[in-house]
Amino acid sequence: MDKEKVLELEQVIEKKLNRPMLYYLDLCTRCGLCYDTCHAYQGIPKKEYSPVGRAEVVRKVFRKYFRPTGKFFPWWGDAREFDENLMEELREAAFSCTGCRRCTMFCPFGIDMPYILGIAKELLIAYGNAPEELVMLADGAVEKGKSVEMFKEGYQGVIKDLEKEVQKLIKAPTSEGLIPMEKKGANILFVGLSGAHSIIYPAAIFNAAKEDWTLSYFEAVNFGFFAGDSEKANFIANRVINEAKELGVKEIVIVECGTAYRIPKFLMGPLPFKVSSIVEVIHRYIKEGRIKIKEGVITDPITWHDPCQLGRNGGVYDQPREVLKMLAKDYREMNPTREYNWCCGGGGGLVALDNEEFRIKTGKPKKEQIEKSGAKMVVTACENCHLQLSTINAGYGMGVTIESFTKLVGENLIV
Amino acid sequence: MLGYISYFILVPMVYIAFATLILGLIYKFYVIFRAPVPAGTGAIFPKQGSKVLGLIYDAMVVPNVYNKQKFFWFIIMIFHIAFFFLFLGHLELVDEFSFIQIIPHKVFLGGGVVGMVLIITTLYFLFRRFGSPYREISIPEDFMILLVLFFCILFGSILHLAERYSDWGAVLRVDVNDYRQWLQSMIVLKPELSYKITELSHYTILVLHVLFANIFLMMFPFSKMVHSVFTFLAHYRKRK
Amino acid sequence: MSDIKADVTMDLKGLACPLPVVKVSQQIKKMQVGQILMAETTDPGALADFPAWAKTSGNEIIDTVKDGNVTKFFIKKLK
Repeated sequence: MDKEKVLELEQVIEKKLNRPMLYYLDLCTRCGLCYDTCHAYQGIPKKEYSPVGRAEVVRKVFRKYFRPTGKFFPWWGDAREFDENLMEELREAAFSCTGCRRCTMFCPFGIDMPYILGIAKELLIAYGNAPEELVMLADGAVEKGKSVEMFKEGYQGVIKDLEKEVQKLIKAPTSEGLIPMEKKGANILFVGLSGAHSIIYPAAIFNAAKEDWTLSYFEAVNFGFFAGDSEKANFIANRVINEAKELGVKEIVIVECGTAYRIPKFLMGPLPFKVSSIVEVIHRYIKEGRIKIKEGVITDPITWHDPCQLGRNGGVYDQPREVLKMLAKDYREMNPTREYNWCCGGGGGLVALDNEEFRIKTGKPKKEQIEKSGAKMVVTACENCHLQLSTINAGYGMGVTIESFTKLVGENLIV
Repeated sequence: MLGYISYFILVPMVYIAFATLILGLIYKFYVIFRAPVPAGTGAIFPKQGSKVLGLIYDAMVVPNVYNKQKFFWFIIMIFHIAFFFLFLGHLELVDEFSFIQIIPHKVFLGGGVVGMVLIITTLYFLFRRFGSPYREISIPEDFMILLVLFFCILFGSILHLAERYSDWGAVLRVDVNDYRQWLQSMIVLKPELSYKITELSHYTILVLHVLFANIFLMMFPFSKMVHSVFTFLAHYRKRK
Repeated sequence: MSDIKADVTMDLKGLACPLPVVKVSQQIKKMQVGQILMAETTDPGALADFPAWAKTSGNEIIDTVKDGNVTKFFIKKLK
């Protein structure tokens, strides 16, 4: 690799060296306790798929350029220079990690391993071998943010069609105004995804609860974050934040999407409105008696998969369980569960990549967990998890149903 | 010649080692606290208990390890507790502290148990790294630090055990007060190495012990040993 | 109804996020420059996602046809 490129990559690392990054990079003793806490390692027991194995690739190149031992005695810390192989290893490390942070639960020092991989992702972008699917999706999202005016009219047209679906669900007299848009001063700005299902069911629930809400023009998911491009990630996140500020809403509610929830809720600093997940809002409506659901309608054994960004990284554990226990007669808990729950293996943008075989293999602990629970239906509230669980389901021929939480509630509303 | 080298290790190098340790740690913290702080939080849920007490509990009792591998947890706990006693023991070589003498004992405290625990646990850590999967993730630094520690503790233990348990091991017995004289003179920056130390039959062992200790202290801020202080920062971010 | 003849037709109805765009881009890579891909989708988001994607990836949407809930995109591979 030529000198200029190396210098450029060095600067990329330097830019990422904020406070937590600095101590995370120095902290690890390579005790190896995180080794088998990763679902990917469970599926494919190779060092490259262990949390410490991944972080070490970043640490080795970091030491080479930023630590005296790496400069003068590279053998001491196994320091490595930038080259083709290293970039390939960085890619393998960064995009075999879903960012679930289960390893952090077991690290004696509390190291945030996926945080370290942020360096790897930014290096891959600078070097030009980041996964093209993610880069493409991020670029598309940025483009959409820049030229939203062009799409508005067409989008409103399709939303009109969706209103008819909502009308059927809640048996409303008219479809008019069931999905409000650009409503200033509404209580809630709801951010959905591209798919119709991600808007229809929440819309039915908001209408049933007689909520004063409005629909965002943007999709919640942040491909810039998945790709690891900080600039694009910020731009994409700010599309919705600015929209919410302009409309002056009190709360933004995020569709079933883990990352989309975590970014505004925990990673953007203080915001002038509340950020909630649709799961929390549904639970709130039921508690307040604003919506009613059919109790005990599901007779098959049912279980809940905690999306990592909603559970471990978001703290939403009890709300979905309470609702599911109302809907289902036989609710079962997976083991381990809650903050120790196994990641499905689809997060971090991995489901968007052409890696189905890898994802089926690394979904092994999740598959075993589901089978042991004996549940016939797995409910979750994250589009990534939903997609990955369906892949595991098909890949292992498990024959369970994967269901979305919002859809399940939306279909069982008493109206 | 050997005399000069020994003197260098026992006097100037000790100063160098402590200066490196202290300035190195200050530098490390300076760099970290100067670095930008990202917006938001890196918290893990559920958040339980008090932030400060919780992080001390997480860092010092390491429940994460207890939940994962009970035996390994036991080993690292006795290892680190032994280090604490080691620190108290060395304080007593500098001066008499009544809070350490609450349970009256002969200096050095522990009767050799502290050193033995450390030798066994250090060897355990070392041999553990020879097996898979720990072997693949280890880097030379991991082995080197353990070796330096091992030799330091080994020579330290020889000094202690020979002095305490053998009639003929130490031909010229060393008194605690001789150590105190030397170490106190070091602290007031008027180093004085009396013949009572240099003519000790275990003088060479003492020199080796101090040599490895010096190396260990100098490596401390620039190696993974910073885990002892940075762990609090990382656990804080997890609970913030 | 559009009278454009598509070389490849894809059914993307009801797919979860972000698969429609991913599938289309994977398909278009396999095709020849100048060929036309017709993608059918029910995603409301596609109305903005597809043009945005086409613009950044250097392809052209030559026609968009709405047929009830289904939207058909005619995408021409340009490079």
